[in-house]
Amino acid sequence: MSGPLLRLVGLEKTYSRGLLRRQITFRLKAELDLAGRQIIGVIGPNGAGKTTLFEMMTGSNRPSAGRVLVAGRDIHRVKYGERDRLAVHYHQSYQVRRFSKRLPSFLMQPAGETYPLVHLFDEPQFNTQDGYIGFMLDFFHRLRDDGRLVVVCLHPTARYHLQILREICEGFLFVSGGGVTRHADFAGLLVDPRVRNYLGSGMTQQAEALA
Amino acid sequence: MSALFEADRLQMRFGNRIVLEDITLRFGPGELCGIMGPNGAGKTTCFNVLTGRYRPSRGQVRLDGEDITGLRPHEIARKGVSRSFQIMNLFNDFTARDNIVTALPGLRRRGFDVSHAVAANSAFADQAEVLLERVGLAGKGGVLARSLSYGDRRALEIGVALAAAPRILFLDEPTSGLGSDGTARLAALIGSLKGQLTIVIIEHDMRFLFSLADRISVIHWGQVLAQGTPQMLRDNEWVRNSNLGKLQ
Repeated sequence: MSGPLLRLVGLEKTYSRGLLRRQITFRLKAELDLAGRQIIGVIGPNGAGKTTLFEMMTGSNRPSAGRVLVAGRDIHRVKYGERDRLAVHYHQSYQVRRFSKRLPSFLMQPAGETYPLVHLFDEPQFNTQDGYIGFMLDFFHRLRDDGRLVVVCLHPTARYHLQILREICEGFLFVSGGGVTRHADFAGLLVDPRVRNYLGSGMTQQAEALA
Repeated sequence: MSALFEADRLQMRFGNRIVLEDITLRFGPGELCGIMGPNGAGKTTCFNVLTGRYRPSRGQVRLDGEDITGLRPHEIARKGVSRSFQIMNLFNDFTARDNIVTALPGLRRRGFDVSHAVAANSAFADQAEVLLERVGLAGKGGVLARSLSYGDRRALEIGVALAAAPRILFLDEPTSGLGSDGTARLAALIGSLKGQLTIVIIEHDMRFLFSLADRISVIHWGQVLAQGTPQMLRDNEWVRNSNLGKLQ
């Protein structure tokens, strides 16, 4: 397939409150093309919209504007039960949010895939004690080598989180301040003053030592 | 080696939620296989599909080449597939011996007339005694299941599962709730059964599996992340580091 595997086109999500005086309480915009056969790391402060972004990418949370295209197909027009054949969200069970459905499935398009093209891992539980990390990282590599797009969201609180990001990711997204900023590599990520601020001085120093 | 039990590209959906994405497993005759994975990985769901509790959304389960996908649990059990559960299933008010006797296939065929005179039937009692001895409970046949120690109850569960003379035995987290002594005893018991039948163990405790299993499948996110001998899996850098405790 030519062209990007995942495209976010004029994507926007806003949450607001108040009926008479509507106040926007959350806004996230993204314009992005991601090719397959790579692993992308996602970081950003709590509440910045990482999970919302993942939910829009996997078709569970409808954007306020814009489109999410997976292999050229608008995921929000694919049958609900088949959207995870295009992009699948591996979340922690407590994070699963339910969203209302807009159209009956028979009016929607089939996914046309049997195994997901895009795999989004939302803060996978990495525990260095039990050793599963190694198998998970191997799995990410296998998915990538199979031409899939792997997106891993991590909240770095320990050195090995940074180590994992540096070791496996071929690009980064920083979600913050209502937008998504792309960085080509780990060193580039650490130049961004907002990233340094988010990581804090201790983690930034550790990250620089790894870079 | 031709497999005794095969699961081919199993997928399990509950509504829009995918619990097993793609599971392919092979268990050979007499092999002791481990299924390992973090909490919520889909291990128990996988067992439930393999033993007929759930019908998979896609894929096939075969026993000795025969397609058993979608058969009822008791039909699968009758073909020689036994299982234990993470939460124990014993008749607490029965003696250890009667717990085993009720599971003997000969009795099942005659009908369920447990409360009377079953233990008096010496042929069954003898069979039960052999099984009790096999699981290290010799001399404890007359003890009520509820009065047995936790470790003994785990052993009795295995005895109950063995009573049906299965060709393949599935054990769901047999060490759960056991301390280190109990775990060691259970490892010895399972080790003593090794080679007599195919045994598949779901286990969270890596060390337990690594010491016992011929082959291990690591399951997470409803998929098989890795497969191989304990030695092969140990070669993974992160596993080595975790065992040596190099990383904090």
